Amino acid sequence: MFETSNDAPLAGVIVVEHGKGVAASYAGRILALMGATVIKLEAPGVGDPLRYEPPLLGKSRDSGALFSYLNLNKTSVTLDVSRKAGLDLLDELLDRATVFLDDTHPADRSSWAIAPADVCERHSRLIYCSVLPFGAAGAHSDYRAYELNVFHSGGEGYLLPNGLAIELFPERPPVKVYGHFAQFVGGTSAVCATLAALLVHAEVSGQFLDVSVQDANVALSCFNIQRLGEGVLENRHARSFQYGGVLECSDGYVQILTLEQHQWEGLVKLMGDPLWAMQPCFRDSLDRGRRGAEINKHLRAWARTQAVEDLVRRGQALSVPLAKYAEPADILASEQSRVRNMFIELDMPGLGPIQMLTAPFQFTLPSKVSSYPAQPGADNSKIICDWLGHSRPELERWTSEQVV
Amino acid sequence: MDKGSLAIKKPLQGMRIADFTVHAAGPFCTHMLALLGAECIKVESAKRLDVFRKPHPVYGRMEAASFAQVAANKLSVQLNLKHPRGIELAKQLIAKSDIMCESFRPGVMERLGLGYDALKAVKEDIVMVSISACGQTGPERNYSGYAPLFGATGGLGTLTGFEDGPPVEMRHVMDHGTGLTATAATLAACFRKKRTGKGQHVDLAAREVATSFIGDALLQFAATGKSPGRQGNDAPAMAPHNVYPCEGRDAWVSIAVAQEPEWTGLVKALGRPEWLSTPRFADAVSRWQHRHELDREIAAWTRTRTREQVTQLLQSHGVAAFPSYNAQDIVDDPHMQSRGAIVDLSSWEGESRKVVGVPWRFSRTPGALDTWTPKLGQHNEYVFGELLGLNRTEIDALVEQEVIY
Repeated sequence: MFETSNDAPLAGVIVVEHGKGVAASYAGRILALMGATVIKLEAPGVGDPLRYEPPLLGKSRDSGALFSYLNLNKTSVTLDVSRKAGLDLLDELLDRATVFLDDTHPADRSSWAIAPADVCERHSRLIYCSVLPFGAAGAHSDYRAYELNVFHSGGEGYLLPNGLAIELFPERPPVKVYGHFAQFVGGTSAVCATLAALLVHAEVSGQFLDVSVQDANVALSCFNIQRLGEGVLENRHARSFQYGGVLECSDGYVQILTLEQHQWEGLVKLMGDPLWAMQPCFRDSLDRGRRGAEINKHLRAWARTQAVEDLVRRGQALSVPLAKYAEPADILASEQSRVRNMFIELDMPGLGPIQMLTAPFQFTLPSKVSSYPAQPGADNSKIICDWLGHSRPELERWTSEQVV
Repeated sequence: MDKGSLAIKKPLQGMRIADFTVHAAGPFCTHMLALLGAECIKVESAKRLDVFRKPHPVYGRMEAASFAQVAANKLSVQLNLKHPRGIELAKQLIAKSDIMCESFRPGVMERLGLGYDALKAVKEDIVMVSISACGQTGPERNYSGYAPLFGATGGLGTLTGFEDGPPVEMRHVMDHGTGLTATAATLAACFRKKRTGKGQHVDLAAREVATSFIGDALLQFAATGKSPGRQGNDAPAMAPHNVYPCEGRDAWVSIAVAQEPEWTGLVKALGRPEWLSTPRFADAVSRWQHRHELDREIAAWTRTRTREQVTQLLQSHGVAAFPSYNAQDIVDDPHMQSRGAIVDLSSWEGESRKVVGVPWRFSRTPGALDTWTPKLGQHNEYVFGELLGLNRTEIDALVEQEVIY
């Protein structure tokens, strides 16, 4: 029924994804790229709201870039689980699935009879992975949050920008990381919890997993908590590296960070052994840490005379940690991306072949990328009739009633 | 340990990791696995101290860290990999492990005689995880890097920042995001091993993790030729969508509105009914076009209120709002403590400190943070004696020869 190589890590694992948010959808993407069969449930008619979220890839208003990225390798079924017939069909799916990935708001879970206790009682072998901004338990569990809010709940939002950006704009509010970073992190965290539960599934059977996007982001920001324990409350004005960081060159930006003595010595060589850097006061790393502003003044003046690509090539040859701030065009065109098969050409209806990013990890055998759900309910017949065994007239009736 | 006799308490209980990672990304991965119950043996050496065991002046830390979160829940063993006998012992340890994780530059493990093929010879089904800046293959495989460089080459730092400003360097969250992704990949490889009996080599590049966070932007560029560029706090089609000043020093609240019910909730909470009939705020498109004006009005309102007041009022009106938390806010938050996301942990000397706990709640097999950062070589006796079967005389000789060093 479902074509997956047995060599794929999650071959044979069936995941039902029921969600509207980015975190759960990203978790589904990763599980699908690991070889799981991911059945995405969407609202009948309109489908996932993320289909309409700009920027759009084409003229069609349902060609959202984020949706297309998140839903690679998934199967789409439309189902209204708030209705009895929809709930019955959901139960049929969950009877056959291993994992239920859900981000329904806690209040709606209860009214739709998909509260964790109810679902786990009906499906004792199911791994129910709840993915919510602040988790399923606790005083904030019913709080509403978008990416910006949950990012700021994790600690890193308060600390950005730093380095050159905060020097240039010290009075501006904190700035977020591009896109949906916090929710991607939450989704990855949900994948970890799900896989850990799968590893003991044979021994303990099903269980409920409460994943919080905030908890995941706090875990990522643990260094700040660690510093607090040492008596340092980090803030974006004081967190900058003592020297190095973002440097503006003649044609773009580079990042430089020399943590080891040999890296500093490589940098001095890269700069052509300037007299200022040869002074005894810059030999010791602790002394350099105390004279960061002075070093930056020299570094920045030198960097403005350099071209990015040439600088990175010469710097890396000297083992100086130096990198270009790459634009999307650079990443898509890079030889490194090509050799590592980071992208695959995917035929997207109405758009033609498009380069799609694959998985952020490489197994011995590459992830197989096959499709993305072009239309909500593209796989209704395959799943509801061919897999669950319902008749075509039944499907037609549910479709006309907008249950499916 | 006899895996068969264990009652399941933690998901990875009974699994062992030979951990050769250093710095942040790799250690975060193995820390996560240790929270899930794996026995993680951190292989260290006085010849090659990990970053938290020494001063870090570029970060402004002039002494060793008193606690390292990413090393907590681990055992520490000293092993000099520059000595041939050290390599032999490393192989013996790996032979008794389920997972081997490393973060050397590509090629180093092979030169040490610890490449995947060599490890397979001592442990056929080993799951080897390699975490590097650019991956094990490709023309840039030997490029060195740290978190800000991963963010730069991966594009995430490029697209982060004010529209009229420079890119922004990613910090530890980039390292740890790499580690978290590596955790997921490692667990998947372990699941496959459980299913098929086969190990494998997992190759994880930090810059590719950074790139995975901008996958939508890459798709947009591939399809339209346009990059979203740096957008500050803007989000397409959402207004208000920003961070606003509140009462108190450096106090901020995030507010985000996408749908009409949220907008009407915001208007009601702020007591500005006239906004519902103002053409400039008539719909989402108009609000986005006038977002700077809207930001100024909202900031004037938030400035005289605390973050908590704004959050509670807006949440009660169905509007997404939350304070911009600093580290103190996080450790003080009863919600976080009630979830076990922040816990008290005791040092070996008895000092108690609030640290980050397990970021997941399992109903039947919960993970746990049990132990403080190990001292260097704290578990030499257990690993070399009990696990590898060396006697006292052999261990003393290895110390003398600077193999256990």
